[in-house]
Amino acid sequence: MQSSLQIKNCQLYRQNELLLSLNEQVNGGEILTIMGPSGSGKSSLLNWLTGTLPSSFKANGEVWLNGQNIDNTPPHLRHIGVLYQDALLFSHLTVAGNIAFAMPKGNKKQRLEKIEHALEKVGLKDMGNRHPDNLSGGQQARVALLRMLLSEPKAILLDEPFSKLDTQLRVDTRELVFSQIRDHKLPAIMVTHDHSDADAANGKLITLSSAL
Amino acid sequence: MSVISKSVPVNTKATTQCSTDMFTRIVKFSPRFLLALLILPVLGGLISVLLPAFGYAPVLEQTTFSLQGFNALWQTPGLTQMVTLSVATGLISTLLAFIITLMILAAFFNSPWLNRIQRLLSPILVIPHAAAAIAVGFLIAPSGMISRLASPWLSGWELAPNGMFPHDSFGISIILGLTLKELPFLLLMALGVLAQPELGKKLRQQHKVALNLGYCPMTAFFKVILPSLYPLLRLPLLAVLAYASASVEMPLILGPNTPPTLAVAIMHWFNDVDLNLRIKASAGALLQLAVTGGLLALWLAGEKAIKVLFSDSLTNGVREYGGFYWQKITVVLTALVISFILLSLIGLVMWSVAGFWRFPEAMPEQFTLLHFKSALMQMGSPLFNTLAIGLVTTLFAIILTLLCLESEQLSDKPISRFTSLIIYLPLLVPSIAFLFGLVWIQQLVNNQAAFFNVVLTHLLFVLPYVFLSLASSYRRLDPRFAHVAASLGAAPCKVFFKVKLPQLFAPILIAAALGLAISFGQYLPTLLAGGGRIATITTEAVTLANGASRRTSAVYAIMQMVLPLIGFILAWGLPKYFFKSARV
Repeated sequence: MQSSLQIKNCQLYRQNELLLSLNEQVNGGEILTIMGPSGSGKSSLLNWLTGTLPSSFKANGEVWLNGQNIDNTPPHLRHIGVLYQDALLFSHLTVAGNIAFAMPKGNKKQRLEKIEHALEKVGLKDMGNRHPDNLSGGQQARVALLRMLLSEPKAILLDEPFSKLDTQLRVDTRELVFSQIRDHKLPAIMVTHDHSDADAANGKLITLSSAL
Repeated sequence: MSVISKSVPVNTKATTQCSTDMFTRIVKFSPRFLLALLILPVLGGLISVLLPAFGYAPVLEQTTFSLQGFNALWQTPGLTQMVTLSVATGLISTLLAFIITLMILAAFFNSPWLNRIQRLLSPILVIPHAAAAIAVGFLIAPSGMISRLASPWLSGWELAPNGMFPHDSFGISIILGLTLKELPFLLLMALGVLAQPELGKKLRQQHKVALNLGYCPMTAFFKVILPSLYPLLRLPLLAVLAYASASVEMPLILGPNTPPTLAVAIMHWFNDVDLNLRIKASAGALLQLAVTGGLLALWLAGEKAIKVLFSDSLTNGVREYGGFYWQKITVVLTALVISFILLSLIGLVMWSVAGFWRFPEAMPEQFTLLHFKSALMQMGSPLFNTLAIGLVTTLFAIILTLLCLESEQLSDKPISRFTSLIIYLPLLVPSIAFLFGLVWIQQLVNNQAAFFNVVLTHLLFVLPYVFLSLASSYRRLDPRFAHVAASLGAAPCKVFFKVKLPQLFAPILIAAALGLAISFGQYLPTLLAGGGRIATITTEAVTLANGASRRTSAVYAIMQMVLPLIGFILAWGLPKYFFKSARV
């Protein structure tokens, strides 16, 4: 079965003011890009999808993930991975620890091998024992990506994930993230300010107007 | 004409420079003064306890070193029980308070309930230990609120039973009292850390990341938040542990008498008419120091052990440890803690206005203000002392703290780690161990100025809290205001008084209210430094708690709570009032 993330008749309100309405289906490997000015409800849409919408917002509509309605599923059981603007690595754990934290439980040795392999694939060979605070911005972004992917999510949300990287790094990291999304055939929704992100995503683009 | 116009600027410049220098000099000197003020009394006190402990006490005409104090100490009947009681009550109450704090934080992290719990518990902070002990004692006494609410329908008691609480020989009452009192303190310290703008935001985001990765909220707290939070809670925790293992108010009011905790026994020996007991008391003070030090070391070792034991499970990928049930347990526990506190306070208020109150009734049959009237009649001098000591101490503490924080900004580097650790010193060293030595010194230096001695001793305990309370707001002050003012030609002195202090009006008032509350609550320092001649509301309350009528005792405990509360209400209200008038 092909994986998919479906938003049915979503209407998002901030204190009774309609911010956006949306009706979309994203299939595995596709990236839906949402653009719009600050305050247009982009981030709140992502919060609604993960089940962490602040109480000052209200939303109607349904979220379906791989054919299952997850409206009443608590945030931690939704299996939706998120990449934020900041890498948000845990500073009390090593690089490998950060990734192990995200992986399902299992045989310790196999998990370590998997981490080593994954690090190598993104050009971070032998960096497992490093402290995340000592990595460059681009390296941190890659660790955050691995952490998210190895948690085996069923869908991915990107909350302006490249906006803090400089131009060349941005292109490389974006290429890596998008290729991983396509390889894993995961449905993804990206929120961004940057048109080059939207072009690179090569998927459907929705532009939100500022609040009505 | 030209002469005047020339000479005037030169003159002003000279005077500004002179006053600037004076101000800057005072400011730059203040951290050293602060250090001396904290270290000298504590160290001096410790040394003056050390010497008599080894038999050297010129006042008692003992000038040879000997171990007679320790010999007397070891021969004290029940010494092992005293030490065990001190260790057990200190450790168990601290552990309980800490664990419940963590459970509340974990279960209600990012929930609006956390704020509600905070609002309910924060007033407990300003309640002095003695008043809290009196209130808890009333709650669990055989004729207390719990037994009244359960009688006779559940317990079958028609008359007040012969209960074991308070004063039970296992120290359960002490543990209950200490846990209920320290829990709000630890919780608010933790919430204070989480309220730091940058760290708090980072931790909340990381918690969200853990949720996205499939972690149950409570597990996410323990695996992601706690490792970053704990280092910032360590000092407050150690202070709580040190206090709990060596305090006298709680064990005096709630603890057993035969034998009491070590700290209480030491206090009795020191205050005995037989001055030779002071040698034994000094030896006891050293033992107390070892006991508290040992507990602190044990805590730190336990910390290391837990870190090693659980480092693997942080990353083992397990996301759920029965969080659903722990959530339920925490809700029940929190409700229990809050209802315990509320019931004790309600009981206290009812006793203070109770006329005739037969046993199983939950409410008095008559209400009267007689106890308040008669207590207030006798309260004049203790009330004056309490306020005078509190105001003088707090004023001094605020001024010194502000100068130290200003020196930090003038020299553009934070105070050293050493200094910030020393600020905690009076909270970590058991006060019973150094206060007696300090009193010996004070008696050597000047015998008469009891008021001054009490103020100085209170300062040791008020300064740390005032400093901690003011430091964060002072350091958060946007430095650009000072830069703008300086670029407009304002001297550091003027910047301090005209730019910084007005902006810090509200935090200064809060720190002052906190300082007053701490000073109002001091029992042992007042008793010792005042030589028993200076009575405050707190010393009277403790004296009354174990003898006189429950109703009078309740009135004193309520007065103990009302005074700091007034302080805080003023601190919250005054800025609003002033800003309002400024806007109009």
